[in-house]
Amino acid sequence: MTDTTISALLLTLRTATLATVIVTIPGTLLAYALARYSFPGKDIIATLVGLPLVMPPTAVGYLLLKMFSTHGLLGPEFLGFDLDILLTWKAVVVACGVMATPLVVRTARVTFEGVDPRLEVMARTLGHGRVRTFFSYTLPLASRGLLAAIILGFTRAVGEFGATVTIAGNIPGRTQTLSTAIYSAQQVGRDTEAYFLLAVALFVGFAAIMATEYLSRKGPGSLTG
Amino acid sequence: MNTSIPQLQLAFTLPLDQFDLNVEYTTTQQVTGVFGVSGAGKTSLLETVAGIRRNARGRICFGGEAWLDSTKNISLPAHHRNIGYVPQDSLLFPHKNVRQNLLAGSKRAHRNQQQMNELLDRVTRLLNIADLLSRQIDTLSGGERQRVALGRAICSGPGLLLLDEPLASLDIALRYKILPFLHRIKEEFHIPILLVSHDPIDVQALCDDLLVLREGAILAQGKPRRVLTNPEIFPVADREGYQNIFQADVDTHDGETSVLRMGEGDSPIRIITPRVSGAPGEKLLVGIAAYDIILGNQRPEGLSARNILQARITDIQSTGTLNLVTVTLAQQVPNLVVEVTEQSCREMNLVTGKEVYLIIKTASWRILEEVD
Repeated sequence: MTDTTISALLLTLRTATLATVIVTIPGTLLAYALARYSFPGKDIIATLVGLPLVMPPTAVGYLLLKMFSTHGLLGPEFLGFDLDILLTWKAVVVACGVMATPLVVRTARVTFEGVDPRLEVMARTLGHGRVRTFFSYTLPLASRGLLAAIILGFTRAVGEFGATVTIAGNIPGRTQTLSTAIYSAQQVGRDTEAYFLLAVALFVGFAAIMATEYLSRKGPGSLTG
Repeated sequence: MNTSIPQLQLAFTLPLDQFDLNVEYTTTQQVTGVFGVSGAGKTSLLETVAGIRRNARGRICFGGEAWLDSTKNISLPAHHRNIGYVPQDSLLFPHKNVRQNLLAGSKRAHRNQQQMNELLDRVTRLLNIADLLSRQIDTLSGGERQRVALGRAICSGPGLLLLDEPLASLDIALRYKILPFLHRIKEEFHIPILLVSHDPIDVQALCDDLLVLREGAILAQGKPRRVLTNPEIFPVADREGYQNIFQADVDTHDGETSVLRMGEGDSPIRIITPRVSGAPGEKLLVGIAAYDIILGNQRPEGLSARNILQARITDIQSTGTLNLVTVTLAQQVPNLVVEVTEQSCREMNLVTGKEVYLIIKTASWRILEEVD
């Protein structure tokens, strides 16, 4: 096993975890708002958030590249300082986060929609305010579905390729991830390395899908309500 | 007892899809029933009092505290209204067990640990759910769920209990077993109750005062017996007709039958009913449908019916096709209402003040007992 393979694995784990953590909290709140309230621009927001699910990942990557480039909306010229994202590990986090967001938000939204709003009303008649009701009733009732949302988001982040390669590149030891490393290894015929990475990917994917299958069984907080 | 009941004042208008709900009502009675066919606005009324619906205009005041006052821009949210809400389908929290459900509102009850345990103990004994405390919600039967929902509301220390058709989701046989629990809650906790129901039996058994709603307007208000025998209201009760409900004491048992005492005082009326499970001296609720009582001008002989009671007519109300005849049996014994046709009334020459005999089969009595 080469050092670059190990560092690709570690980088993948770190960036996918970080991206999932960053996406989960605002994603959950947004999902709750989409599930429970109607407000102007709701459909537009839901559509924008869902876009990365259907667009070619390289297209999303290209869009991000343009945003973070010198003249882009989040570029140094516009902001006045350099975020220094492109071609760094931070670009991997951004790519993974953007691509994982639709899965997290959509799964969480379906979960919240499956929680009977009348149970929340019940909690309020028992003296609990909005915030307390959300944390003590809504979240526990949605816990299984939310966990499934997080797992799906994380696995999407682990497998991210197109957007990552576009804005972070495929620099061994710096921005090379599990999926870009498999591609590189296969390109140059380093089969042992590719097999090993494939086995890791299989294991992560298998465990994740098994977990979501278990979580989507009927029970409190499940996806099917 | 009524003097200690806080005043409930409702004076509001709520826009609904088909019509506006207009309520103008003040009470210090312990249990007020809201009666009417479905779609009359009963649940909307309750949700407005609970603060679940917030688009009403007007005033809702309980015990001197304004929950809604549009002129002062006051509209307290549900969690500041000090209510206990029991919906039709219990709505227990599936992520909590029975004990946790019962304690879900205990923070608001403002009791220390020991007082809370005492309250929990009292509620679980009264509702006969002490054995269920560690059970998960999905293992409970319909009747158990409704009792836990009632217990949860009471354990939150509410000032006002709001019951929305608490028995409607249960089948008939079960309803009459849960109804006595509601009756005991009324007797033991002295909490004012607003009860929504379309069942004349619930209303008769529990309510001190009754509001009848039709298309958002109050059609009638008063004592349940008066209101439900009102010719305009009687058709609202529909196929159930008029139901007599009263409390009785178990006197003796005799094989397949029991003897119960109706009414207080020195000269109670004894009635023969199907065997009840209560021991002599115990109280229970008994019902008889107005159409299940036969009237006779003379004391009949040679009948299989076991109950022949002497009575005097105090009131006759015509509903068009039927007459509702109110009779009194004795002092301090509840009056009964009997349904007779116009023709019978004419042929028997029934008039107020006339002596008559009531003929009731043993099996016609409906016994409302707390049996699991």
